[in-house]
Amino acid sequence: MRTHLTDGELRAALDGELKSEQLHHLETCTTCQTRRQQMQTMSSETDRLLAFFKPADEPGPAARAAWARFSQQISQQQEYSMTRTWFSRPIVRFGTAALLLLVLVLAFPGTRALTGALLNLFRVQQVQVVPVDFTGLEQLTGDGALGNHFTELISDSVDMQQEPGEPAAAASSEEASQLAGFNVRIPAGMTPSQINVTSSAAFSLTLDRTKAQALLDEAGRSDLVLPASVDGAEISVDIPASVSVAFGTCPRPGSGVSGNNEQSTTEGRYPDCVILAQIPSPSVNAPADLDIEALARIGLEFTGMSPEDAASLTSTVNWTSTLLVPIPRNAAIHEQVSVDGVTGTLIQSTGETSLFALLWVKDGIIYTISGLGTNSQRAVEMANSLP
Amino acid sequence: MKKHKTEITETARTESGSWGFEALFLEHWTSVYRILQRLVGDPEEAEDLALEAFLRLYRNNQKQPEVQNAGGWLYQVATRLGLNSIRDWKRREQYELTAGRFALEETAQLSPADILAQEEEHQQVRLVLARMNERQSQLLILRHSGFSYKEIASALNLAPASIGPLLVRAEREFGKKYRALVQEE
Repeated sequence: MRTHLTDGELRAALDGELKSEQLHHLETCTTCQTRRQQMQTMSSETDRLLAFFKPADEPGPAARAAWARFSQQISQQQEYSMTRTWFSRPIVRFGTAALLLLVLVLAFPGTRALTGALLNLFRVQQVQVVPVDFTGLEQLTGDGALGNHFTELISDSVDMQQEPGEPAAAASSEEASQLAGFNVRIPAGMTPSQINVTSSAAFSLTLDRTKAQALLDEAGRSDLVLPASVDGAEISVDIPASVSVAFGTCPRPGSGVSGNNEQSTTEGRYPDCVILAQIPSPSVNAPADLDIEALARIGLEFTGMSPEDAASLTSTVNWTSTLLVPIPRNAAIHEQVSVDGVTGTLIQSTGETSLFALLWVKDGIIYTISGLGTNSQRAVEMANSLP
Repeated sequence: MKKHKTEITETARTESGSWGFEALFLEHWTSVYRILQRLVGDPEEAEDLALEAFLRLYRNNQKQPEVQNAGGWLYQVATRLGLNSIRDWKRREQYELTAGRFALEETAQLSPADILAQEEEHQQVRLVLARMNERQSQLLILRHSGFSYKEIASALNLAPASIGPLLVRAEREFGKKYRALVQEE
């Protein structure tokens, strides 16, 4: 004899989704009929509140017109994937990964007590490249549940005090210097095809330790345990205005949509484009007793570094002045070079598309020169010809 | 009941022999857009989010051409984008205004006071959905958008038999959070 229907089955009955055998039971069982009536009464308010989701034939963008817009976006994406290739691979990809690592580090501040007194913790004076496995980071930035939860965590934790505007074109290095508030340098004898200035930004980050630990757990890294005392620690970050100077035929920054993999198209379209970016060091203020070394170790281990290597690296880095730049472990090589009177780092990707990026810091300004191809010597020559 | 996903996706696949993305887009566009329009309340935002959902599917397909259940993936991502949009307080302030104006334009047969009251209630519903467990919100959104249990199961990678019990729990949670929100205000 069949037992009474479950609540889920009664719900299915109300939705016309009950299987025939169960439906037969319902038709003959007064107990289940009474419960169905009770459930219908309880559900009626929810049904009423959500009724506006019910499909109706109101006007909206026609599918054909939407497809045309979508196709245009894809076309632009192919045209401007240079933006992604250049800004996302050597700068933003590395830079985003660096920022992400920074965020990971900063998101997990090891404050034993929030004193309220803030220490000027971080200002870039040097760059150090760290080969890492990007799997952990890509999990966080992907479309999966983990990526979504990471976005939620950042969204809930970050208070944007000043958002950067769209890049503004400048006619000369003098105008760019005036807009950006620092002396913009251009290699001697070279004429830029574009100069763009992005205004400054500022945000603060307040950590919810429970959510951050849940994220690590969800990522399968419950071995990385955040101290209970991190909860509520506040970190403020100021990012000064930055300047991007393009040489050759380059795409306009900020005009591309989300990227895809059409590098071959862009390599053909922008074979001579090289971009020099310059930005005064971002500064980070955080509680004075921030245990950044321990937090950096967690961040590095999260990216796939062994505990031993992470401990070894973190013990040698000056965390108050070093910007860690993660690069793909098996898809890029790097070397130290002498440029602009200081020591810089030259990165050459060895993946599907050849890319180079040169990074160095001088007088508090972070410089990068990046481009497609393998002619990284050009970046070194440009850096050495800066006035 | 309109077809939503899986069957249509298979049609799109077979028409091109590999991946008839245009066919898939045209089949799903209206449904994806309308769900997002109701979810975020702002037609322009809904259009942008719908395009973003398709764009992500397009990119995902480039990385993983053999992805199964592309239609289901699309609705899952679209509803997630919509819920994220609601969670973004800056956008929310904007679309609360826009949605109010849009409601006034679209519902001319009601009095302005009734329209505003109705739209306020819709905004509360959206806020509650954004505060709920994401899976539960997606269940409610898809169910009340006319999806069958089989279609919901396909979109959310769930067993069809689990949809009824999960809907019961989601409705209870929704009711609890909605009452709490109304009391807050």
